Amino acid sequence: QQTLPSQPPGRWQPPQPRVPPSVSEQPGGRGRQRGPPGVPQGQDGRRPEGLQISAGFQELSLADRGGHRRDFHDLGLNTRQAIEHVQESKTGSSGVLIKLTANYFRLTSRPQWALYQYHVDYSPEMEARRLRSALLFQHEELIGKTHAFDGSILFLPKKLANKVTEVFSRTRNGEDVKITITLTNELPPTSPTCLQFYNIIFRRLLKMLNLQQIGRNYYNPSDPISVPNHRLMVWPGFTSSILQYEESIMLCTDVSHKVLRSETVLDFMYSLYYQVEEQRFRDACAKELIGLIVLTKYNNKTYRVDDIDWDANPQCTFRKADGSEISYVDYYKRQYNQEISDLNQPVLVSQSKRRRGSMMPGPVVLIPELCFLTGLSEKMRSDFNMMKDLAVHTRMPPEQRQREIGRLIDYIQKDDNVQKELRDWGLSFDSKLLSFTGRVVQAEKILQSGNVFDYNPQFADWSKETRGARLICPKPLDNWLLIYTQRNYGVANTLLQNLFKVTPSMGIRMNKATMIEVDDRTEAYLRVLQQSITPDTNIVVCVLSSSRKDKYDAIKKYLCTDCPIPSQCVVARTLSKPQSVLAIATKIALQMNCKMGGELWSVEIPLKQVMIVGIDCYHDTLSGKQSIAGFVASLNQTMTRWFSRCVVQSRGQELVDGLKACLQTALRDWFKWNKYLPSRIMVYRDGVGDGQLHTLVNYEVPQFLDCLKSVGKDYNPRLTVIVVKKRVNTRFFAQSPGALKNPPPGTVVDVEVTRPEWYDFFIVSQAVRDGCVAPTHYNVIYDTSKLKPDHVQRLTYKLCHMYYNWSGVIRVPAPCQYAHKLAFLVGQSIHREPNLLLSDKLYYL
Amino acid sequence: MDKNFQEEPFTGIIKFTPPLYKQRYHFVKDLVGKYKPKKVADLGCADCTLLGMLKFCSCIEVLAGLDICASVMKENMHRLSPLPGDYLQPDERPLTVTLHHGSVAHKDPCMLGFDLVTCIELIEHLEESELKKFPEVVFGFMAPSIVVISTPNSEFNPLLRGVTLFRHPDHKFEWSRLQFQSWALEAARCYDYSVEFTGVGHPPTEMKNVGFCTQIAVFVRKYSQTSESAQSETPSEAVYKMVFKAVYPSLKDEKYLQNAVISEVIFTAQIIKRNLLNHLMSEHEEYNDAPTERKSKFQPSMNTFSEDLGKLVVEKSMEPFVDGNMVYIPLTVIFSFPKVNQLCGTFEKLCKLIAGKVTLSSNGSAVMLNTEHENEEN
Repeated sequence: QQTLPSQPPGRWQPPQPRVPPSVSEQPGGRGRQRGPPGVPQGQDGRRPEGLQISAGFQELSLADRGGHRRDFHDLGLNTRQAIEHVQESKTGSSGVLIKLTANYFRLTSRPQWALYQYHVDYSPEMEARRLRSALLFQHEELIGKTHAFDGSILFLPKKLANKVTEVFSRTRNGEDVKITITLTNELPPTSPTCLQFYNIIFRRLLKMLNLQQIGRNYYNPSDPISVPNHRLMVWPGFTSSILQYEESIMLCTDVSHKVLRSETVLDFMYSLYYQVEEQRFRDACAKELIGLIVLTKYNNKTYRVDDIDWDANPQCTFRKADGSEISYVDYYKRQYNQEISDLNQPVLVSQSKRRRGSMMPGPVVLIPELCFLTGLSEKMRSDFNMMKDLAVHTRMPPEQRQREIGRLIDYIQKDDNVQKELRDWGLSFDSKLLSFTGRVVQAEKILQSGNVFDYNPQFADWSKETRGARLICPKPLDNWLLIYTQRNYGVANTLLQNLFKVTPSMGIRMNKATMIEVDDRTEAYLRVLQQSITPDTNIVVCVLSSSRKDKYDAIKKYLCTDCPIPSQCVVARTLSKPQSVLAIATKIALQMNCKMGGELWSVEIPLKQVMIVGIDCYHDTLSGKQSIAGFVASLNQTMTRWFSRCVVQSRGQELVDGLKACLQTALRDWFKWNKYLPSRIMVYRDGVGDGQLHTLVNYEVPQFLDCLKSVGKDYNPRLTVIVVKKRVNTRFFAQSPGALKNPPPGTVVDVEVTRPEWYDFFIVSQAVRDGCVAPTHYNVIYDTSKLKPDHVQRLTYKLCHMYYNWSGVIRVPAPCQYAHKLAFLVGQSIHREPNLLLSDKLYYL
Repeated sequence: MDKNFQEEPFTGIIKFTPPLYKQRYHFVKDLVGKYKPKKVADLGCADCTLLGMLKFCSCIEVLAGLDICASVMKENMHRLSPLPGDYLQPDERPLTVTLHHGSVAHKDPCMLGFDLVTCIELIEHLEESELKKFPEVVFGFMAPSIVVISTPNSEFNPLLRGVTLFRHPDHKFEWSRLQFQSWALEAARCYDYSVEFTGVGHPPTEMKNVGFCTQIAVFVRKYSQTSESAQSETPSEAVYKMVFKAVYPSLKDEKYLQNAVISEVIFTAQIIKRNLLNHLMSEHEEYNDAPTERKSKFQPSMNTFSEDLGKLVVEKSMEPFVDGNMVYIPLTVIFSFPKVNQLCGTFEKLCKLIAGKVTLSSNGSAVMLNTEHENEEN
């Protein structure tokens, strides 16, 4: 093998001036880029700028699983640059300082480090990526042992002698191929391309450590935790991503647990078959399985189950890529030596999201016997005991979590092969967790009818402090229904008696309920509702004998749409324990009061004329057809009353049009209440998935602005849009003498682990009893408010105090949680927009 | 006319379907299916494609690869690692896969004791000096019961477009059928093997006389396995460097067997418990105002349950029962379930494997489960 002279024999055509995919410098990255002069830089126009390498390379590294290719980190979106008043600084100032560490490790590179990007061309054109690699690496002495290649883009840690190098290779068929290697870029460590490259290399390292990739994360299969009670297997593992953060490029890694099930889909179907009756079996299967992710036995790919085809079986045939017909049984036998024993099983259908050129388009058919279930089904999640059994293994106190995180870095430092790979690329990781200083803002005072309550900020809960205190706005229970079955007469009475005990101190005037006994059938409940509700009815309370969903759904559907009346359902068992019944009655009384339009408490909100909006989405994973966006907007200065609407959209429909209508009606209602329009609008937008930021910035925000414009010519309110994210891998640990602790509620972080191109911050608002607290990430993507970052942070934290279903601080601002509740109720039970007569009450609590 | 090639009349280009390399691998796979070797070594394993296919062959328990180029193996070795599924449902058979960096011109004891050694498109890459040592290493030292050697048939080359001298620049030679056969016959004679010749990649009908595109020799050792004459003389030193090793989870390994048994026992016990409680509950409901929908829900599962038990449990006294808030499920009942039975083999083994891992009644004869948490939600 040697490099042939670079003069091509005559029969080749002159090299085509092919345009290499460019990696243009994005506003998001801060590095400079020295593109070699004379190399054409073009766009290939298909993907957003700055992400050009991702397709090929991610394919390269993710090919061994059912990977979807999305930019999970929302790279290349610089929203901060458009927000004038945070150009200098986006940090807040209030609160006391706190020493924190976070699950981040700095990535360092040699001084003068650069990554060299080449474009590799083949003449004649070679299609198969594997062949392209093989041909290129016949010239290892030129390229070196350290390289990353996706079939057309080559990364090397070194600069080749010439800008354009031509070499010749020969295929197995004896065909000579000219390979042209052209330097296209010299990338500084901070360029977005480099960041993607680091992630690719890091995945390589994890593989070297014998970790198994499942989905986006890596797991260690050699020491699984088995939970035989539920046929579960838990693999410990790590999430990891390398990104440019405020000051440096860092690896963010967290402990992750993969829940796998040691049974195949077929096993599961069989055990389900014995649990339900014949005619419900198919429905039950669909309900349990659709939406779940399965892992195939014979390779390491994951698929989402989108459908079950009961008319097909493993003996059906399909057409292979070469055009021949083969049955599934024969295919799996031949390809993977997998015997399919049950020839009558149905098949699973997965709508493949991948759009890889060589792959066959269309749905993927899977054999239940050859698929393992992964993750938890909706039903399992709601199984309290199962979750408790799992939490024993997955919940870790801060000290332990930090130790487990450190273990990954340990593995990396101790493995010779990994160290060699890193050395060859000129990279290394810090061995210690990142530490820095955060702030704990002062605790809020709870205001309730002239009383001011302080509470222990450590617990972030004031249910004890405010117990028995008069509510801001109590709503009378003059005329209300209490419906129960014969068996639950006692329970209904207990509830009534206890409500009589707890309501007076709250200031709620209460008459005895109209007690109605019903048969324990859905129709019976509905008939009673139809007969007994009058225009004067304040609220309907139903004592249900079980938490069976159909009855609940029917009641809610009727009372939210056809007959708009607040309602409260209670499962009888909740009231069966004498020691807790008073506390539960208190909670129910508060909840009922909110549903009727009452107000409980408030916190001081200095900002005037501001309307707060909360948006969250519910996606129907079961039928996969509907998505629901819940929309709530404050109606008064104290943020104690909320307007709500929701948008029911079918698959593929954009959300924005519906939201526009919501905002319009919210403004109309605000005007009715206040006789003027708000001068500021702050939108807290929850339910944004990884990689969807782009859509938000480019579509949703402009629609909000449009909507505001349409209100009136002179109306020009200030708009702030904040994306709220609960699912983040960031964890903070408070350094305290002895052991690491969870940071206290009110901890704000706006340095080091935030992103330079964003106006973002983290708040730890809630307290957790065990395990590690998860901070919430706030990303201000649009802001004309000119409010100081400190004020936005404080207001956000204040709003986390305002969720009336919990006498304490929650993870997200109350409007987000309200929007979530509304979307969930509509998505789960009602399936269409509730009656607008209810829109100024918290009926969805 | 043969199915597995197409001839395009204009250009005379021969294209094999499936591709020739796949045909070679399938040839090996068929051979494995026929002889059922337990230990297989692939010399010149390169990107481990053949090994990746062979790991699915259920007869193979030891799989080894050898190549002179470490980086090509390293690039692809992870495809030989166990998959999550292998951990989730460990196989009955044990499987160990190893990759070694070294030359076929050197002897290393790690290559001893194999049943099948494959050398697919290997020998033509060997330098003359290496080729000379090759028969002694493979037939003399390793001495497996079967050896497969494939190499290009140079007589076919004129039919391949663009091939002037050799098919690949790294080839040191390409042999005609006569050359290959005489070399192979000599080796077979020398080391007491029988040899048969075949190939893959048929020539076009009108060119039948050129033979297969790839020629293959299958050697079968004539003497019996017990005479370890060649191996016993000098247990030579290790010269290969191991670059990869994967031990697949297997039920032969006590750790995995125990996990599997415990999981199956508890799961079985849970099913019995659930059915028992449902049974009791539906009996209870009979006296109450049990709505019809309820009853029908439980009825079928109860029936199937008692049918199952009827078959499995002979003695009435050995049935599961509820006492207070505990459910007792006799181990004999659990043992009678096919999956548990199959895993453990004997009742004693079952008792041994679950000892200390599953809560048992005081005399150790029954699994104890709490009835709590089994409310209507289930």
